[in-house]
Amino acid sequence: MTCTSRNLLASLSVLAFLAMPVSAQTVGPSGEAATPSSSVTLDEAQASELQGRGLKAALLWHDQSDFVNAVTAGASDEFARLGIEVVATTSAGFDSARQLADIETALALKPDIMLSLPLDPVSSAVAFEKASAAGVKLVFLSNLPSGYEHPSDYAAIVTDDLFQMGKQAADTLATAMEGTGEVGWIYHDAAYYVTNQRDNAFKTTIETDYPDMTIVAEAGISDPARAEEIANAMLLQNPDLGGIYVTWAGPAEGVLAALRANGNKTTRIVTLDLSEPIALDMVKGGNVVGIVADEAYELGRAMAAAGGRAVLGLETPPFVVAPAVSVTAENVNEGWNTSLHLDAPKSVLDALQ
Amino acid sequence: MSISLPNRAVLQGLIVYAGFVLIFLFFAVMLWDRGFLSAQNLTNIVLQTAPATVLAVGLVFVLAAGEIDLSFGAAVALSAIVAAMVMRVTVWPVGVAAGLATGMAVGFVNGAIVAYVRLPSFLVTLATMGVVAGIARELSNLQSIPVTADTFIGIFGGGKLLGIPSLVIWTVLALLIGHLVFRETRYGAHILATGDNPRAALVSGIRVARLRLSVLVVSGACAGLAGLLYAGRLQAARYTLGESDLMTVIAAVIVGGTALSGGRGTIPGALVGSLMMGMLSNGLILMGLSVSWQMIIKGLIVLAAVAVSLRDPNR
Repeated sequence: MTCTSRNLLASLSVLAFLAMPVSAQTVGPSGEAATPSSSVTLDEAQASELQGRGLKAALLWHDQSDFVNAVTAGASDEFARLGIEVVATTSAGFDSARQLADIETALALKPDIMLSLPLDPVSSAVAFEKASAAGVKLVFLSNLPSGYEHPSDYAAIVTDDLFQMGKQAADTLATAMEGTGEVGWIYHDAAYYVTNQRDNAFKTTIETDYPDMTIVAEAGISDPARAEEIANAMLLQNPDLGGIYVTWAGPAEGVLAALRANGNKTTRIVTLDLSEPIALDMVKGGNVVGIVADEAYELGRAMAAAGGRAVLGLETPPFVVAPAVSVTAENVNEGWNTSLHLDAPKSVLDALQ
Repeated sequence: MSISLPNRAVLQGLIVYAGFVLIFLFFAVMLWDRGFLSAQNLTNIVLQTAPATVLAVGLVFVLAAGEIDLSFGAAVALSAIVAAMVMRVTVWPVGVAAGLATGMAVGFVNGAIVAYVRLPSFLVTLATMGVVAGIARELSNLQSIPVTADTFIGIFGGGKLLGIPSLVIWTVLALLIGHLVFRETRYGAHILATGDNPRAALVSGIRVARLRLSVLVVSGACAGLAGLLYAGRLQAARYTLGESDLMTVIAAVIVGGTALSGGRGTIPGALVGSLMMGMLSNGLILMGLSVSWQMIIKGLIVLAAVAVSLRDPNR
């Protein structure tokens, strides 16, 4: 999921998470157990049952980004395989009123399946009611409208394997620091279960799996534009930091700027989500040692498959997670392809040569 | 035999209606089998544009007076949030009053600074837009505030009276009152005179400062009502409400034939402009275009519409 998405969606009231203990597994917004996306599939026989039925799908996104494009590509390819026509694609620009209008508009096309990221659990509950009442199979990305029950109201929620993303970030940093040293932890300071689970998974992994590594500095961030000043303060108070975890790539760019301004070439950075400037620093042997990304294309494929299964009346798990992928200088192009189904940016590929 | 031709201003005023019909016919032909002409879809267009149309009424007053209001989107969010918060602790009519009062208070502050501190409305409302949006975020703690008062939801959201959706009734009321005040009262004439030539208006005895304050209060009141309509429709108030309306409503009002430079304004034109914007969004989605192409085509059509309806051959 993209950085801006996270920041703007930070207000989503998934307060249930706050009451939960830190889990060693990714759990859904209502504490649901996770099912791997690889198990949400339709075989050729099931696909042929769907083909030729004139089924239609609408993709009602919250915003536009590389992430959304990759999810759309994954969903569109799977729908094409299943013979389901994508009749509408929208972007609500983070506006819940516009998302409601998009849903109403798309309903005129009588879709059988809707894929969407509900912008806000409260108002989305009203917005998707009409679709649910019209018998549309709903598959949600990352969020769930308040009060919705599985399987009567929706087919599935699909999201990243949040715990694995945080854990793999910890493992990547530990490898770069040879399992020893002081660590700074810059986490997302908002009640949003996506970033909260990823951040906490990093912290838990360092604390439990790497006894010679210590988190000596913690700083919350809600505005990515403040990352540089937060990093400067952290480095001033902890000049021996061996590594810094940054909650996503946007603020990591600010942290990288702070390290460069200080002439610091030894403190390592690990962060989440693909970003060209961050990847460029990584392949040039700079401060960044690794990026952990989600498999956005796979998220879209699994959402489409869940929708297809629901139309056929097959069982769908309530909470589905797509795997995390660790990207380092060695596998940057492969990682980009796995995550977004795109080649790494030209600047990154050029720097590799 | 001589044929008298209608003058240029009248022709220009009619272009928006012709454009609306052309776009409607285009979508009707292109999307005849994709639900565009269904009663449900046409109703959706009207309901979805209801808050924007109410906002457009207020903006016609402001633009016709030669001013501008950039803060109405933020005032929508703040009004909705205040109304929702008040309704949590007391009865819904108090929430409605609080929401409307909030919008009018934002307009009053804007108007007082513009009229009596004599700062340009563009800069004043640009600044208050940030202030008001910040207050909305702070008050709501970035959370959605649910609205559960059924009567309120019926009156301002999904209810109907004699089969007519309440959103339509509010919109028609706002349009009628706006049109009558604008066209049939001395106040309306004073707005146009001030927008056309403020110095001449002042010399002729119009209390220009008070008039400037009043049009911004009208805009604030419309923002308050739009906030209530959003809160009723979504059954929740959120700090993002109204954010995306700013450019849409300005475009709708200008496409409708109101002059950005003041001295000319039309409420029916604003209604048609607003419906045109809603119809464009709706039709482009139904055509199955990607989001990027929806944005490009909508922008080009708005540009063409503005060029045709506002082009001044003397410039």
